[in-house]
Amino acid sequence: MVQSAQFAHSLEGWFGLLPLWGWAAVSAFIVIYFLALPFGGLATYIERKIAADMQDRIGPNRVGPIGLFQFAADAVKMLAKEDFIPKGGDRFLFNLAPLFVVVGSCTAFAVLPLSKYLIGADLNIGVVFILAVTTLIAPGLLLGSWASENKWSLLGGLRAASQIVSYEIPVALSILPIVLISGSLQIGSIVEQQGWTVFGENQASYHFWNAFHNPFTFFSMFLLFIGGLAETNRIPFDLPEAESELVSGFNTEFSGMRFGLYALGEFCDVFVMSAMVTALYLGGWHIPFLDIEKLGFALPTALVAFVQFHMFMIKTLLVVFVVMWLRWTLPRLRVDQLMGMCWKGLLPLAFFNILGTALWMWVFKGQSLMQLLAGHG
Amino acid sequence: MNKVLLLAEILTVASALVVGFHPNILYASVFLLFTFCGVAVMFLYAGADFLAGAQIIIYVGGVTILILFAIMLTQWLYKIKLADLRNKMILPAILSVAVAVFLYRALHQMVATLPLQTPEALEKFTSTPKTALMGHALLGSYLLPFEAITILLLGAMVGAVWLARPE
Repeated sequence: MVQSAQFAHSLEGWFGLLPLWGWAAVSAFIVIYFLALPFGGLATYIERKIAADMQDRIGPNRVGPIGLFQFAADAVKMLAKEDFIPKGGDRFLFNLAPLFVVVGSCTAFAVLPLSKYLIGADLNIGVVFILAVTTLIAPGLLLGSWASENKWSLLGGLRAASQIVSYEIPVALSILPIVLISGSLQIGSIVEQQGWTVFGENQASYHFWNAFHNPFTFFSMFLLFIGGLAETNRIPFDLPEAESELVSGFNTEFSGMRFGLYALGEFCDVFVMSAMVTALYLGGWHIPFLDIEKLGFALPTALVAFVQFHMFMIKTLLVVFVVMWLRWTLPRLRVDQLMGMCWKGLLPLAFFNILGTALWMWVFKGQSLMQLLAGHG
Repeated sequence: MNKVLLLAEILTVASALVVGFHPNILYASVFLLFTFCGVAVMFLYAGADFLAGAQIIIYVGGVTILILFAIMLTQWLYKIKLADLRNKMILPAILSVAVAVFLYRALHQMVATLPLQTPEALEKFTSTPKTALMGHALLGSYLLPFEAITILLLGAMVGAVWLARPE
């Protein structure tokens, strides 16, 4: 339970060992090489495999066992490609733009609650922190598209920025019911409160997964998921890179590792969005109906963290699977449909959910559906 | 001196100078983004963590994007060079120095009245979480100003929709 100011101060305390840039490099190295890069790389492989399955093909199967090293081959190919910058483009912004996307999506990994004992920094503004750092992605897309000196790119970038700015609002509003329920913005404590168990003494104080707290939060979860899809520019909201309209949208002129950074950033963003749905609505690291720490005998903390980490990953990757599944199921929306859906569909529904949840909290004195059913009401 | 804070201050001031003096308005707005990020880190060190998050969401995710939009969609705005404005810099310079002096004096007086003179008091102040306190204050003792602002913002939004409506 680290407060963000304390976190900054404790960071300061460690500076005796290494200079500031050293610590920045170490922490960035850990996040990128142990979380973001493996996920981003494997996700491209898994996405292709899922696509192949859904289209009755085999998919990548040449590099390594069942094609598992395809992503490494792709990375080598990207690094070996010509480093191309358009002649009329803006060199400085062209180099800077992909970094915004990577920094924005990788920094959010710091507050993801992988387990009760495995969380980079359990900031007391955790949810706001994720929303804040992922907004850095929008300037990255917009500046990259402008620096490309290409009309398709610019159209894609403008679409991306307007889409992300618009959908930020329903996303933030569909997080609010959870803040109402938990009375906290700290992701660790939000997840902790969802640990309702069948035979536990904590039934009265803990509620089950927030998605099943009341009917309004159940709908709110889908709003968060849809808004997250739009914020990460995934199909059916991939208008910024719509291949059939804009060549490849904002990343048309990007090649080699700069394109790789955009792709990596997008996959990391998908993971962060799915992790947010998991942590806020699907109980995070909790095993349903079971508290691994209250089995009657004590387990080593490392084992608890291991099991919780895998539970969290299973849930998150299931959400990621749904994201990929939708990609091969739904057609792309039109621009006017996209904006109409955000402002006329998701926004009023999100307000309705907030009011409904507040009403539920008032009528049932903060008890969740599961607690009422178990007779604690 | 706190190193992270020092770095944030350097980032803020250096980016602000670029914003003020770069001839290309697009670069100025990109560096405005870095200024906002630096200010957010300063808020963090002042113990205002929620404000830091809100600063990034609203200023980086909203205001900077809108500025970039305006620049990219307005043809003549991008072509303006600083040379065109050189003879118009005297009055703004005087005004900004006056504002800086006023802000410094006002903040100095305000800080003197706060019970934060000892390092311990300052440490305690910056390390207490304030999000819950802020929520209670906004919906408790400051409810009337809060509601007044929401009505003002609602009016602004209705006005914007009215201006943008199809004829």
